[in-house]
Amino acid sequence: MTLAYQKLKSFDLQQGVIYIGFLAIFLFFALTLHDDGFLTSRNLTNIVLQTAPATIMAIGLVFALSAGEIDLSFGSVVAVSALSAAVVMQHFPMPVGILAGLGAGLAIGAFNGALVAYGRLPSFLVTLATMGLFAGIARTMTDLRSIPVLNENFTGLFGSGKLLSVPSLVIWTAIAVGIGHIVYRNTRLGAHVLAVGDNARAAQVSGIKVARVRLYVLTLCGGCAGLAGLLYAGRLQAAKYTLGESDLMTVIAAVIVGGTALNGGKGSVIGALLGSLLMGMLNNGLILMGLDVSDQMIVRGLIILLAVAVSLRDTSR
Amino acid sequence: MKHLKQTLRGAALLALLSAPALAETTGPGGEAATPSSSVIVDDAVVAKVQAGGHKAALLWHDQSDFVNAVTAGASDEFARLGIEVVAVTSAGFDAAKQRSDIETAMAKQPDIILSLPLDPVTSAAAFAEAKEAGVALSFLSNLPAGYEHPQDYAAIVTDDLFQMGKQAADALAASMGGKGTVGWIYHDATYYVTNQRDNAFKATIEADYPDISIVAEQGISDPARAEDIANAMLLKNPDLGGIYVTWAGPAEGVLAALRANGNTSTKIVTLDLSEPVALDMVRGGNVAAIVADEAYELGRAMAASAVLDLLGEKVPPFVVAPAVTVTADNVVEGWKRSLNAAPPASLASQ
Repeated sequence: MTLAYQKLKSFDLQQGVIYIGFLAIFLFFALTLHDDGFLTSRNLTNIVLQTAPATIMAIGLVFALSAGEIDLSFGSVVAVSALSAAVVMQHFPMPVGILAGLGAGLAIGAFNGALVAYGRLPSFLVTLATMGLFAGIARTMTDLRSIPVLNENFTGLFGSGKLLSVPSLVIWTAIAVGIGHIVYRNTRLGAHVLAVGDNARAAQVSGIKVARVRLYVLTLCGGCAGLAGLLYAGRLQAAKYTLGESDLMTVIAAVIVGGTALNGGKGSVIGALLGSLLMGMLNNGLILMGLDVSDQMIVRGLIILLAVAVSLRDTSR
Repeated sequence: MKHLKQTLRGAALLALLSAPALAETTGPGGEAATPSSSVIVDDAVVAKVQAGGHKAALLWHDQSDFVNAVTAGASDEFARLGIEVVAVTSAGFDAAKQRSDIETAMAKQPDIILSLPLDPVTSAAAFAEAKEAGVALSFLSNLPAGYEHPQDYAAIVTDDLFQMGKQAADALAASMGGKGTVGWIYHDATYYVTNQRDNAFKATIEADYPDISIVAEQGISDPARAEDIANAMLLKNPDLGGIYVTWAGPAEGVLAALRANGNTSTKIVTLDLSEPVALDMVRGGNVAAIVADEAYELGRAMAASAVLDLLGEKVPPFVVAPAVTVTADNVVEGWKRSLNAAPPASLASQ
């Protein structure tokens, strides 16, 4: 009795809300929409496929927020990365296109990181500025044109392909979440990220190279956005300047609902995965319920508000 | 460009004119236009359609009063035919979201999808699953790249583009007494919808109004720059009698420029309804007329073309709905005819 009570008392509501919320909403949709195709393996797979780019962006953001930083520019990075890969692949082989896409993401991330770490500028303002900067660059890159991606190896690898019946987007998600979780939980870098986010001055005193950690997390954010851009380009078989534009709020909500603190020092890669899947499941389920578009937005907003309120209320104690 | 048809839209000049489709409007692949009035699901087959238990999904590019009117037109037609609307979505101009919306809606196994593909390139893959599943696809304005009629889609439905531009020219000319100078602000992009509307205005002025000359031409791609463009145009041509603006969003910027210059004589004509532009018109300001399309009729024709396709009947590849010239005198009827809704209270009370 006492042990059970202690266990219950020690249950971290902030970390747990995503598991409870995910399960509750899944059960709700499963019960109400079982005749509407929600539980079909095709539909459930679709949710994972549709959320793969957002999940990967969310992993980068978990690291940035945990270190006390934020990246608002990753949506723009997605478009630059996807367009870079698509344009380069019109003239060069696929590996060069992949390098161009990932390289663009990493380079922009490093640019953000250098300004924050060594320019000593706040990441919020730096990435707010670069969000606009790279959105503009994405528009000028191809003069607002969409670029088709015709390389079937690329669209298979990053979009519609399968390995042993497992869709490639699921594999990318699993790899990114697996590596992200291990690095976050079990490596020195992960520990340093949390230490910097918890108390940067104390981390500095204890010998952690705070500036370098900040550079790394923002570069990682850029790299994750770069990979997300490749996934979008593969999935749509095209790249467009609007890709990623609407992902910013979804990804931030997924990460926060997933138990990562906005002010640093605490986070969860698995939570971000579930947060991202939760967002996708809400989109999917509310459409299948037959709600009109405005009602879908209202219900989605209320559920996210509820989840975030529970998370943040716990944090503020 | 249907996404230009946002906000409420408005009122003005001649009388309610609607014109039948003209051969001048052509589809994205050069298809000849068929008037929407000839795309009808006959009462004789209604019972047969109703017995089919068909389902439809409306997968839009965005939300606006225009989309609401198209949805209403389609939904009413589907209701008449006993077809259930199982999903309505808005992609918010996000190509990836549009693809996800299609996948999600496919879980409900619709027989019909009505949609505005966000752009030909990205939508080609997005609609592939629905196309291969044999869903009857009726598209608003845009066509995914590589799609062939009739095997891949039922029809493209859009405005009578030439007629919209022509009616705008006629309205502006009437407001100027058939003489004077005109500025032409056109959409600076390769998009057949706006290009045909803009060029029809220019061609009509040049052919039908010998005493009116187009003295200034300026392309626009960013509506936020409209005020700057209009200011520059007025600086070089202070006696400009009229300005054609490619759609209502930038027309609001042009109106702001005229007001800032204290100019009450230069007339404006634009396309697609907008409450601020219409309000100026009903108050006797610079705006002479607004030419709009019949959005409700667009929705009805989309639904009808998809149903005819399901029935295996021949459907024309490119269907156009009539244009409506809205002036201060007919704002209530014009609004109703275009959007199937009463005009905003600010207009109705004028």
